Amino acid sequence: MIASRSLYVRLALNALVLLAAAVLVFPLVWILMTALKTQSQVMAWPPQFVFTPTLENFRVLFDAASAGATNYGTIKIDFLSPIENSVIIAVGSVIVSVIVGVPVGYVLARRDIPYKEDIAFFILGFRFAPVLLVVIPLFSVFQAIGLYDTYVGMIWVYQVVTLPMIVWLSRSYIEDIPRELEDAAAMDGASSIQIVWRVVLPLLKPGLIGASLLVFLLAWHNFALGLMLSSAKAPVTVALLKLLNPGVQFYPVMAAGLVVTMAVPVVLILLGQRHLERGLTFGAVK
Amino acid sequence: MTALSTKVESGLKSFVAPVPVDRNGRRRSELLSLLVVAPAVLILLGFLLLFFYGVWQSLTDLRLGRPIIHFVGFANYLALFRTASFWNNVSVTLVYASSVVVIEALFGVALAKLFASQVRCAEIFRPVILLPLVLPPMSVALMWTTMMDPQSGILNYLFSLIGLGPFSWISSPQTALASIILIDVWTYTPFFTLIIFAGLQGITDDIREAARINGAKSWATFRRIELPLVAPYILIAAVFRLIESFNQFDIIFGTTQGGPGNSTSVLSVQGYITAFQNLNFGRGAALMVVNWLIVLAGAMVTVRAWQFVKRRVS
Repeated sequence: MIASRSLYVRLALNALVLLAAAVLVFPLVWILMTALKTQSQVMAWPPQFVFTPTLENFRVLFDAASAGATNYGTIKIDFLSPIENSVIIAVGSVIVSVIVGVPVGYVLARRDIPYKEDIAFFILGFRFAPVLLVVIPLFSVFQAIGLYDTYVGMIWVYQVVTLPMIVWLSRSYIEDIPRELEDAAAMDGASSIQIVWRVVLPLLKPGLIGASLLVFLLAWHNFALGLMLSSAKAPVTVALLKLLNPGVQFYPVMAAGLVVTMAVPVVLILLGQRHLERGLTFGAVK
Repeated sequence: MTALSTKVESGLKSFVAPVPVDRNGRRRSELLSLLVVAPAVLILLGFLLLFFYGVWQSLTDLRLGRPIIHFVGFANYLALFRTASFWNNVSVTLVYASSVVVIEALFGVALAKLFASQVRCAEIFRPVILLPLVLPPMSVALMWTTMMDPQSGILNYLFSLIGLGPFSWISSPQTALASIILIDVWTYTPFFTLIIFAGLQGITDDIREAARINGAKSWATFRRIELPLVAPYILIAAVFRLIESFNQFDIIFGTTQGGPGNSTSVLSVQGYITAFQNLNFGRGAALMVVNWLIVLAGAMVTVRAWQFVKRRVS
């Protein structure tokens, strides 16, 4: 089929792929360039593609001590603690979800329990829960029981996003492991603990790491929950929006913040592209 | 080995053992399985209760900072139905979600076909498809806000190179909705692409070969063979995307916050503003309930379509 294509068709197809890839990549490259420019370079017209890069924007973003003494006048930015918040909340959510969710995935994949499909549907349905409808009552509840603006509260709320995903992914990865391996190990007289530790877990490990990466990513993405249920413990996505003050547009500093928030997922792609694809497409890509 | 650890081990064995031997063992394994499932169900059950609590709040005059709450029945809904701005919220939500899903499905098919063409560049650049999906939607929103700046934005510069523009993008009521649709399309077309790509790879070369031998040209092969076979993939992707687009908050809040005027005020953003900025929680909850009903109706229609197409294919 490939051989039957003429040279021109192949060239045209390659050119179209290049165009599509450029459309997908260019915005990120442009933001990276913006992050390395000064305010006047950013405002220049026509836009500059060649310039002397500066790390000033990143310094403004992170150097809380020198707040107030920047090229942009008196501004105070604390970007480090939002990043810290995001990491704590996201890692905490992943740990809780893995501990609570992976055994559920195993049961749903391997055991017969009453109402199994109903339970599976109930858990997975939360992937599409109307989060905002839950947040309005949650705000009152959190205020009342003192969970507003706490890590514990945030990690619990994030479970609505991360837990269904972990359950669903670990179930699908466990279903991929041939059941015969477990049966054979049992025949050979391996104890159940040995089966889980020596057979299931090693085979599940890549999938589990991939699933954890994806769930970390979903937690890292979240904005709405942090916006409404936290203030001092707000995640980095909320802090980003604050960099865009109406009237005073610190595009270069904001771009530096964007580069930081986007660098994390890009690194994750390099670590586990296939797992992310599988998770993000709900298993269509295996 | 102590008695306790033997007990634990035998418990685990009945939980893990592939074939429960006796009836007692089966019952115990069932119990253990339910015990394992319970924490997850309980955590999520909390959210389900909160959901009902939210529906109840939409029937009250709850405002932040006011201790006394009255049950007002459907007063919040009736008050909403009487305002033009509510119907504007509904129509913006419908226009936004339906246009992004249709446009993303079309581009998704085109991109999937392109990247399935097996040319050299397609193989090199395939990982790039994933890129927009892994970025935080809020970062995407702010990235495009920067690029869409009417004065210094790169987009107006690029369009000026081909003699178009300048556009005001998200700063003008005329173009704001189209602009955020563009952002959504850039971000989520890859979702369709990846799923349709997987569908295309499921079609064996035999089928294509058979079509070719029967004299079908490549366009006819695509229209008569491939498109019907990947149709279920397109529709299931549409179900997911439709639900998420109705609930879309980050991209719109990060760019326009519903403005300018109310040109991009979808129900989710309006609900947030009503509840958390105007502090009218009852009214905000009512907006969210309306949004949820729209999500439900939209999801049911697309799921039906998916089931219909799937049955026809098989």
